[in-house]
Amino acid sequence: MTGVVTGGWGYVIAAYAITSLAFLIYGVGLIRRAGQISR
Amino acid sequence: MDTAVHSRSTRTPLIFLGLGALLFVFGSWWGLFIAPAEQYMGDVQRIMYVHVPTAWNWMLGVIFAFICAIAYLINGKPKWDARMEASVEVASLFALLLCIQGSVWAKPTWGVWWDWDPRLTSVAVLLFAFLGIIALRNFVEDPVKRAVWSSVATIIASVDLPIVYFSVKWWNSLHQQQSTPQTVSSAFHLPLRINALAVLFLMTGFIMLRTRVAAARLSEEMAPPPMVPGPAGELA
Repeated sequence: MTGVVTGGWGYVIAAYAITSLAFLIYGVGLIRRAGQISR
Repeated sequence: MDTAVHSRSTRTPLIFLGLGALLFVFGSWWGLFIAPAEQYMGDVQRIMYVHVPTAWNWMLGVIFAFICAIAYLINGKPKWDARMEASVEVASLFALLLCIQGSVWAKPTWGVWWDWDPRLTSVAVLLFAFLGIIALRNFVEDPVKRAVWSSVATIIASVDLPIVYFSVKWWNSLHQQQSTPQTVSSAFHLPLRINALAVLFLMTGFIMLRTRVAAARLSEEMAPPPMVPGPAGELA
């Protein structure tokens, strides 16, 4: 661990997990909605 | 009703989403495990590889919504209204993510989850303005009134974007000033650029798909009412 701020990994994982999950949920929802239009 | 947007295939946005997801995994892996930790913030600085690309692309999303609003008011074509609806929603998602990522980064570095700093406040103002536009679009049933009112509201709300950008220069802010390639170590450039491209692809795919959904609703709303046969069988 380098740097003045310690214990950073928990925050890093939280930021990436929230962002990835939001993209995934929104993306899957949109694909489903657009798919329903095509049918 | 211009159905050009509605009839477009979902293949292109899916390609954008697929490429964006692959690049996002690659750029994040590089940022988390290959790039060195920053000298003062340590590993927490790795949030930059997701926060800064979200911020850059959020600004592009707001600019696109502004362009769509202007275009609709000039030519009145529903496809611009559908694009505006899509970009306002996607930009709202990005603004929300921006605030959450910023809070998660602020806690270990500033000691607080939130501060009414000019940069954070101006982003929050734009987020709530865009959420208000989404609410407005859900309440107004007349498609033309809805498009005109939300175009005007989007243009007014977008005035906040230059304030967001220059807030760190105009005021003595907790938030750091914009970084440039000269002020960021070259070891950080590649994952930052890969994720910026990844989020751009994801945002493009989201806006294209959401436009399709909005255009389909507009097509239904603006379609002529069906012919109803009268009691004697003749069409009304």
